[in-house]
Amino acid sequence: MLYSTRSKLIASFLGVSLLVGAVSLFIGGQLLYKAVFSEATNRIRLDLNAAREIYLTRINSVKVSLNITTLGDEFRLELKRYDAPKLVNRLRRMAQHAELDFAGIVTGEGKTLCRIGTNPVPIEESQPVNPIANLALKRGVPVSGTVVLSREFLSAENPDLANRARIQLVPTRRAAPREAKEEASGMALAAAIPVLDGDDLLGVLYGGILLNRSTTMVDRVRDTVFQQEIYKGRSIGTATIFFNDLRISTNVLTPDGNRAIGTRVSREVKEQVLTEGKMWTDRAFVVSDWYITAYEPLVDIFGERVGMLYVGVLEAKYADMRGKALTVLVLIIMAGMALAIGLGYLLADKIMSPVRRLIKASQRVSEGNLSPQIGPISKDEIGVLQNTFKDMIVSLEERDKRRREESENRLLQSEKQASIGRLAAGVAHEINNPLTGILTFTRLLLRRRDIEDKSRSYLQKIAESTVRVRKIVKGLLDFSRQTELDREPTELNRLVGSTISLMENQALVRGVGIAFEPGENLPVVTLDRGQFQGVLINIIINALDATETGGNITVSTGISLSASDTGRKGVEISIADTGCGIPPEDLDKLFDPFFTTKEVGEGTGLGLAVSYGIVQRHGGTIRVQSEVGRGSAFTIWLPVEELSERRKNTGC
Amino acid sequence: MKILVVDDEDIVLESCQAVLELAGFEVLLVPSADKALEAMKGNEFSLLLVDVKMPKRDGMYLMRKVKEQWPDIPILVMSGYYTTETIKEAIKMGAATFIAKPFEPDELVETIHQIIKREEHHGKKEGPRN
Repeated sequence: MLYSTRSKLIASFLGVSLLVGAVSLFIGGQLLYKAVFSEATNRIRLDLNAAREIYLTRINSVKVSLNITTLGDEFRLELKRYDAPKLVNRLRRMAQHAELDFAGIVTGEGKTLCRIGTNPVPIEESQPVNPIANLALKRGVPVSGTVVLSREFLSAENPDLANRARIQLVPTRRAAPREAKEEASGMALAAAIPVLDGDDLLGVLYGGILLNRSTTMVDRVRDTVFQQEIYKGRSIGTATIFFNDLRISTNVLTPDGNRAIGTRVSREVKEQVLTEGKMWTDRAFVVSDWYITAYEPLVDIFGERVGMLYVGVLEAKYADMRGKALTVLVLIIMAGMALAIGLGYLLADKIMSPVRRLIKASQRVSEGNLSPQIGPISKDEIGVLQNTFKDMIVSLEERDKRRREESENRLLQSEKQASIGRLAAGVAHEINNPLTGILTFTRLLLRRRDIEDKSRSYLQKIAESTVRVRKIVKGLLDFSRQTELDREPTELNRLVGSTISLMENQALVRGVGIAFEPGENLPVVTLDRGQFQGVLINIIINALDATETGGNITVSTGISLSASDTGRKGVEISIADTGCGIPPEDLDKLFDPFFTTKEVGEGTGLGLAVSYGIVQRHGGTIRVQSEVGRGSAFTIWLPVEELSERRKNTGC
Repeated sequence: MKILVVDDEDIVLESCQAVLELAGFEVLLVPSADKALEAMKGNEFSLLLVDVKMPKRDGMYLMRKVKEQWPDIPILVMSGYYTTETIKEAIKMGAATFIAKPFEPDELVETIHQIIKREEHHGKKEGPRN
């Protein structure tokens, strides 16, 4: 019982903390996710800006290096002279310094004069289109930016470049369908500078970097923007340059650890960035992982969207951050729950300990210890319970004491009776023999005729006294005799009625009225009719003796519960007179043997004691109520045995 | 008519002797059960008057012994201390009746006469065995 109360308390504490925990975990998780995600998105936007700066700076560096070359006087001189071998040498040095993949000079007519590739001075008539040089020629101003280069142009420039540019398309989930199996064109950062001599156009110097399979740009972006941050063995930041939707330069890795060149972007990104020209920032599944990404379109020198620039950070890092925060939250909740258990335990203990003490105390009480410890009184409802318990113990104790006193009294009474009985027995035996002598010889003497009158009257007195002694001894013997009760089922009203009719003559003689008020539906009582009638006669005679002429005696019967025997069912016979009454100081001596208020010679003082003994042996009690000058009422209570009930029910 | 009176107290014996002799009975007094049995052997009694409570062997013992050998001799039991049980037991053992001490002389004589009359009425076909 105790444990279940404790468990209930702990369970409710736990329930509350679990509920609160679950709700805060859910809401906290959501909030955390949003916060982390928006933080990551903001960062990736900034990172994309940085990447674009690097991209543009690189274009600018190509342009600057070309520009510086065109400014040299020797260059102009060699160009005027069309001194191809020297120009090629110069271009090669420039390309080496500026890390250019291709460079060359186009004449004002658009013919390639020379270049740094394997075929430095072309002699063919038909030459592939050089888009950037042509644009510079056409506009007459320096041009720089992103440009798409055909396979023909690349292979004319340098077959190695054409090979580098060729990329096999890797089938990619979620990408837009594309028929071609490979991409042969290249995308490059390039610049073209018209070289002027006064107003005369000497030619156009062009040069650039092929982005296909290039690693420098994207790795620089990764290294500068993400500072080579490594998360779980992988670079957290990635950068990619797309040609159309194809990864041509990237440091996103495939699961086997290679750069994911040849894979393509998902259809949604392609549509939003390439088709619609918008920026994309969201989480996206890149090759094999979830990234928080940003894409923006790359526009070539003609204003066409030809590719995309991408940066992304591994979502795992942010997810783990969120995971860590959630773990902390879960730990806090668990700590809260542990606290709830502990608190519940302590609280249950605090609440239950007085209750437990009360339980122990009531066990003590049931074992008979009526002064158990119940500990300090609480100030709450349990305190009320404790006080009630205390009151209960006090009244139990009082009842116990009362009962003990009653039974002690009863014991004393019966001991008194027993010792009187023993005394009476001895006395009777010892006295009756000499009495026999006294009575016999007195009587024999009285028979003689020769005795003078005075002596005769003396002898007469001896005889009378002896008879009186005989009567007293007989009374004593009656009193001491613990004869077995000869019980039989009896109709009480009939017994009382017949006893009263026995007494009616005596009452008539004394001028005292005697009335019987029989109770109705009395149960049958089992009693010793003879002895019980003796009791009734004794009490009625006492009543007659106490009542003056003209007084009344009322005998009544009825059903009653015992006053002392906790409500046991029984019957009552009440004998009430209007006599002289009994003084209070005599009331408690009333049933003592030899107590009498009658004149010497009239009573032995044993009648009521004997009556009391008889009633007691029937399991009953005699109660007396009396008021001096108004009368007394003797009430005999007898228990009703189950047997008699049964007999009554079966009609016996 | 000869009556044997058995009692351990002299005063009782003397009282009985006085009353019974005055009433015309022949009386033999003995103070104990053993003496009574002895006396029985040499005498023929019409009645035994026996006290119940005696030291050593009591009246009950004596009655048993007498009823074994002389079942026809009536026995009158007397006692100063008695209970319903003792009276019942005595009657059961064959006592004619019971008389409480102290008794009036007339009461004793009357009781004895009644017993003897009753015995005669039942017919004294066989004389008391000896």
